[in-house]
Amino acid sequence: MTALNLPPAVLPFCRAGLLLAALSLAGCGLGSRLPTVTYIAAGANTDQRLDAEMREDYRQHLGLLQDAFRQLYPGTTFQLGLYPEDQIIPAIVRRSNAGLDPDLLYINGDTALQLLQAGLVAPYPTDPGLEKLFHPETLARLRNADGQLAGLPVLVQTQISCFDRRQLPEAPRTLEELLRISAAGKAIGLTVDPVNLLWTAGSLGTLPALQRTLRGQPLSPADRQAIQRWLSWLQAANVQQRITFFASQPEADAEFLAGGVAWIPCRSTALPMLRRRLGARLGVAPLPDGPDHPASAVNRLRVMALGRHSSEAGRQRAIAFSRFNVNPLAQRTLTIGSQTVLPANRFVSVPVQSSQVLETLNTAAAQGLEANQLVASMHSTDPRMPELKALITRVVFNETSAAAGSDRLVQILRRTR
Amino acid sequence: MKELLLEVLGWLGYLERFPVLLQLLISLALLTLSRLARQRRWLGRLPSLAYPGVGLSLLALSCLLLWAMGQPHGLALLLGELWLGWFGLSLLHRLLVGRLPTTTLHQLESRLLRPGYLLMATLVLISELDNLHDVAVIPLGTLFGITLSIEKAFLALLVFYLVLVGCGPPAAGLAWLLQRAVGMSDGSRKATELMLRYIVVGLGLVGVAAHLGVNTTALIAVAGGLSVGLGFGVKEVFSNFVSGLWLLFEGSVRPGEVLMIDGDPCEVRRLGLRATLLWRDRDNAELLIPNQTFFTEATTTYTASDRLRRSQVNVGAAYRHEPARVIELLETTARTVPHVLSEPAPKALLLSYGDYAINYGLRFWITNPMNNVSICSAVNQAIWQAFQQQGIEIPFPQQVEYQMVGPPQTQQPNLGPH
Repeated sequence: MTALNLPPAVLPFCRAGLLLAALSLAGCGLGSRLPTVTYIAAGANTDQRLDAEMREDYRQHLGLLQDAFRQLYPGTTFQLGLYPEDQIIPAIVRRSNAGLDPDLLYINGDTALQLLQAGLVAPYPTDPGLEKLFHPETLARLRNADGQLAGLPVLVQTQISCFDRRQLPEAPRTLEELLRISAAGKAIGLTVDPVNLLWTAGSLGTLPALQRTLRGQPLSPADRQAIQRWLSWLQAANVQQRITFFASQPEADAEFLAGGVAWIPCRSTALPMLRRRLGARLGVAPLPDGPDHPASAVNRLRVMALGRHSSEAGRQRAIAFSRFNVNPLAQRTLTIGSQTVLPANRFVSVPVQSSQVLETLNTAAAQGLEANQLVASMHSTDPRMPELKALITRVVFNETSAAAGSDRLVQILRRTR
Repeated sequence: MKELLLEVLGWLGYLERFPVLLQLLISLALLTLSRLARQRRWLGRLPSLAYPGVGLSLLALSCLLLWAMGQPHGLALLLGELWLGWFGLSLLHRLLVGRLPTTTLHQLESRLLRPGYLLMATLVLISELDNLHDVAVIPLGTLFGITLSIEKAFLALLVFYLVLVGCGPPAAGLAWLLQRAVGMSDGSRKATELMLRYIVVGLGLVGVAAHLGVNTTALIAVAGGLSVGLGFGVKEVFSNFVSGLWLLFEGSVRPGEVLMIDGDPCEVRRLGLRATLLWRDRDNAELLIPNQTFFTEATTTYTASDRLRRSQVNVGAAYRHEPARVIELLETTARTVPHVLSEPAPKALLLSYGDYAINYGLRFWITNPMNNVSICSAVNQAIWQAFQQQGIEIPFPQQVEYQMVGPPQTQQPNLGPH
């Protein structure tokens, strides 16, 4: 082989030319050889720790769908990036500016709507046939003022209660039972996080008052009493020797795993991790209702939204994958395979007879209907959330009276962002 | 590890996007052109530092243009910022030249600043493509029963590297304080500094193992495995390491000591883990000698108990000069030469009666063994001057040549007048 004898002056130009040519080829000529990757950014619950275990759970969860999808679109690979839900918006802003945003975002519905309003995700293409698969009110929550859809609903994650069967043969069905079993010596864990504690507001009949407060509607004395009743119950609960208020859900989970508490409210997405650690000891049940009202579980509608800067082929893959995920077979596979989520497709029935977990999730979904409106109007990343958490902490630890606390709560909720 | 590789390879898929490719092309083209322009001085009298500035300005303009067109520009902007940071490092270099010793500056840049910057740039780029925290929890494999994630491995390596590189100045400072407090010698200070570094690195290693969650049973297993390995494969390395530590404690080979290596005085510059670095004045060579050499072989040192060296020059004087006068002159002369100690006093001796001269030896003491050759030269010159002034002859052997004639029996001694 003979070497090219180029004059030294030409060599730098050749090097630069080769580099540019290589890059151009990488993008154009070799385009077909690049991995056909669909980038997915998933928002993880902020009250769960992002670790290898959670990453694996998400991979398995999406893996159920990806394997089936590859049978239709062979060669497609998926790259999953997990972000805590409260950090995903700044991350998408940054990545979108660089043109490196994901093809698909697997996030909460309200986050998707925020991203659409900020122009950070592309509106989901209109398809009346596809939209028929979902409840109209579900889709309405995902539309912006122009009627554009922020994302395609895929499934529902629910809030339930988890208990240790070794300590507690049966979960409490009502708040009274909850207090009774704690009085009988069983340790109960709650958190001061407003989102995780909202279910008690439903059980105590405070939810309508909170909704009216949030909407800025005038409050009746009964509404104020309802809010005060809720805060008083929290205060009274903390006085119980065997009820512990934790600062965050991970702390409550850790204590539950260690056997320190027998019962905690938990997210359905935490079930795989809890199952791995506790095995058959893990029991799940709907959250305890109140004397007259159901618990208001905070459920999350998970949607698939489209990134703005996908390539043409990438966009097609993203749409195909999201549509594939809502077909009845995929929805059923997800629901039965993971036992942590419910289908968003209203025509897919949940086999509640065959699984107690799915029955619990189904009940939790029904419990959460009333709270949906409130949760949609106050996102978990709302700047008022830290203030609410601080207020609840002060009330729970009796540094602020329930009466003063309820006034302050109204002030915080009435303040516009 | 497979998961990590797949993750990294997966990022190549972004090249499928035209805006990403465009930003990369603009950034890399401007970077390359800026380098070429600087090498070939395309902009005439412009100082070389101005070229990256021009390239960066053009990149900023390109970003502005992309922004105005509603196109993604964040990647080009980020690459520009990273380029600016790198350029800033070269400006810092210019600022520090002259303020820091060359070796220190080189070490600071090559071991801390540039690797640190490249690492930071890599992390920033990864965070553009993925969630850094999510990538960090990717498991790499299992080590001694613990699952090693990227985060753990990365932090462990980073901490160990920083301890290794960064413990020098604090150890030197502490050793200096100890020297001031206890009054130890410079050699002892350097030995203390090295020992402190070993201790900090050792503690760092243990800390890293604890961070990784390595349990003591695993460590014992490693120690057992190592001992077998030491017995076979890395015997020499371990032997050198232990010899180095021993020599430090013993104090016979410490930085600053002067040892005779192959007849030449050499100064110990650094006692390393494996080998000792010595400096030879004769040819400014640096010798890297395995530590166990000093441990197993006899070595001559001039600095074990003090740094004085007794030197000697030899000279011949003609038979006609009285030895007492010559001896006195030699001693007086030696005292006038700089760096020759007056106490112990120089001593001249009549060594022998030679074929053509009486041989004298002049012994004198110097403080720095490394200066022996230059001081001997100065003494020899002074002797020549003194003998010249006093009319003392330095004789040299003379040869008388005569021609052989044959046959041998006809050969007559050449006794005739010359």
